[in-house]
Amino acid sequence: MMLARVADSLYWIGRYVERAEHMCRLADVLLNATLDRTESSGQVADMVISAITDGQHDAPLSPWDAALAITMDSENGDSVTAALARARENARQVRDQLTTETWERLNLIYLRVTGEAAARDFSDAPSQFLHDIIADLHLFKGAADATMSHGEGWGFLQLGVFIERAQLIGKLLQAGFGRSLGRPVTEHAAMTALLRMSCALEPYLRKHTADIQPSLIRQFLMFDEDFPRSLRFSTARIEEHLSSVGRNVDLGGGAGPERLAGRLKARLLYADPEALGGEESDNLVATVLEECARLHAGIYDTFVAYSLEMRLPA
Amino acid sequence: MRYALSDPSHSSGAQAAAVKPYDEMMDPTGEVRPHYAALARRVASLADEDLAERQRLLERFFLLQGITFTVYGAESSTERIIPTDLLPRIIPATEWATIEAGLTQRLKALNMFLADIYSDQKILMDGVVPRELVLGAPSYRREMQNLFVPHQAYANVCGSDLIRKPDGGFAVLEDNLRVPSGVSYMLANREAAKRTFPGSFRMAGVRRIEEYPDLLLSTLRSMAADWRPNPQVVVLTPGVYNSAYFEHAYLARLMGVPLVEGRDLVTHDNMVYMRTTTGLRRVDVIYRRVDDDFVDPLTFRRDSSLGVAGLFNAYRAGNVVICNAPGTGVADDKAVYAYVPEIISYYLGQDAILPNIETYLCREPSQLSHVLANLDSLVVKAVGASGGYGMLVGPHATQAEREAFAEALRANPENYIAQPTIQLSTAPCLIDGAIDPRHVDLRPFILSADKIRVTPGALTRVALRKGSLVVNSSQGGGSKDTWVLGEGDGQEPRP
Repeated sequence: MMLARVADSLYWIGRYVERAEHMCRLADVLLNATLDRTESSGQVADMVISAITDGQHDAPLSPWDAALAITMDSENGDSVTAALARARENARQVRDQLTTETWERLNLIYLRVTGEAAARDFSDAPSQFLHDIIADLHLFKGAADATMSHGEGWGFLQLGVFIERAQLIGKLLQAGFGRSLGRPVTEHAAMTALLRMSCALEPYLRKHTADIQPSLIRQFLMFDEDFPRSLRFSTARIEEHLSSVGRNVDLGGGAGPERLAGRLKARLLYADPEALGGEESDNLVATVLEECARLHAGIYDTFVAYSLEMRLPA
Repeated sequence: MRYALSDPSHSSGAQAAAVKPYDEMMDPTGEVRPHYAALARRVASLADEDLAERQRLLERFFLLQGITFTVYGAESSTERIIPTDLLPRIIPATEWATIEAGLTQRLKALNMFLADIYSDQKILMDGVVPRELVLGAPSYRREMQNLFVPHQAYANVCGSDLIRKPDGGFAVLEDNLRVPSGVSYMLANREAAKRTFPGSFRMAGVRRIEEYPDLLLSTLRSMAADWRPNPQVVVLTPGVYNSAYFEHAYLARLMGVPLVEGRDLVTHDNMVYMRTTTGLRRVDVIYRRVDDDFVDPLTFRRDSSLGVAGLFNAYRAGNVVICNAPGTGVADDKAVYAYVPEIISYYLGQDAILPNIETYLCREPSQLSHVLANLDSLVVKAVGASGGYGMLVGPHATQAEREAFAEALRANPENYIAQPTIQLSTAPCLIDGAIDPRHVDLRPFILSADKIRVTPGALTRVALRKGSLVVNSSQGGGSKDTWVLGEGDGQEPRP
């Protein structure tokens, strides 16, 4: 049993911390790309910027400005600082539901990125700054895993994490390979950058060795069974957590978001990666993004903003 | 570190300052009182840097826990911690015994008073308390008339403000029977003190306060236990922007009950439910941290969005318990306060163990003229206000301020009371790296349902500005941990 508002806040904490972590990696890769002046660095910058703007940018930003905006822009809800501030604001509203260990980690990160020294720390050593945030977010997730009950609240937190993750990786795949957004990446530097942004470089190398090819990267990010950021892995977790939090909800015979989650999981589980052409892969990624958006709305309607007439006690 | 024993009541030049305040640590000859001896020795053995380091540790603890309030600026907002002092205030066992007995007696009488005025009104019939004073008070709730309250416990949670007078005796300055706050600071201060002075803490034999959340929960549950076998308790908060939000979340977490906002609750057929992920779930006891006015827009203020429509009807129907009961404020009204000794003797046939502060009711013409003639030595308070607002501290005010207040007094005398300026006792505090006495008060917390329990500890509030007598956090006050010693402890350190 858990308050609907609390479940909603936990879900959003999951989304925001995942977003913050992802944006840190994007900013870091972007800053790295500016270090060498090859053609591929331009390709990397284009890819990152189109991943965060859905290809809608009019005035092209310089990589440094883009990295700064991704990290520090307090207006933009997708920036690291804004995502962390929102995660912490949600955590404050459900402070009684988080263990002290978990809360302290998140509060500490928040105090650091919004502190007076933050802007200076970023411009002095941006990579270090971003790296520290990622490391702290891992501590947050570890503390939550080790100290929170893995019950309903945990389920909502994890749903937020994995829905956000599936969407972010999906957008990255579109930016890297989608035909609609200019040419697909082919340069070696751009391909490794894509793997770094997905935190996938080392797991990829272990699986495919240093044979770096666009088709293998795409397969890895979409269909790998064990890599925790692949679409297949994320959608399987979404289905798992949704069926556990939905166990006690009486939907009066109707189908809830669980059906969506089950179908989405099956699409990736039973797809044939080898036989999938470029365009079909594009379509599958687009479907994942759409279904995640529907799941997001479905979770809200089923668990949080349900109509009272349906649920009055007998 | 050496003590600078300066007189904090330096300025003002008023007659009131001629009385030397009681110092919690030093006796008038400059000797350290026995119950402070061990701590004083420990502090004296520490270098300035050690003390500063401990103060930093303390502040970091509060910051990490999120025990902060937000200061909103034009561009950004920053988090500040509530000022907290490193050095604990110590109360020996014998003094505490008096406080405990006095507070128990007082709350017992006040609950009987509330039960009476919301039913037969015998005390008004007998003319012990003026009828218009009670029925005309803005905090009197007609809606509560003849409503059943379990155990006749109207005020389940009470936080009384005590002060120590220059002669060393404690007196009650104010009773808080509405939604008293500060208990989380009492508990957080204690957690921090255990980290900053572990050795002294262990040696002193300090009584435990950590059971407070358990006792609060059993107090709340006992309010519904007769008709619901396993009552669902919730804490109702106005929300995250309330300055006491940390406390609401803290208590909910330590009691293990949901922290709800008005929008989480719905009423249906005079029952109260909360919206959970799996549907509606019945609520039996609401520990509300929302003022009377905002509890139910249908019964009280219509423009309130903090409460729950229909809550009061569910309460009236006996399907839910609201703690504290609505309407308890009439018993801590500043004018009714003056009658508490009479209230105690009326219901209990006893003399008050803890005295009141002498109070002039400006509604009485003879007392008004006395107040007007002595504005420079009195503290004048508006009856309805709290938090240190709407008051005049005569000796510290300018002539113009006094004249403006005199004007307001003549125009609306029943709105004011006056009390002599009391030199609150002082306790050593760490101020800018040096130890210096500051004025303090004492807010213990009392729980009442089937029985009355006084928590052996308190929030000691500190007026951090030198010479100031105002301890409210909204007016530059801070707080410190309060050690109540067990019998026979703390006199001499054990080897």
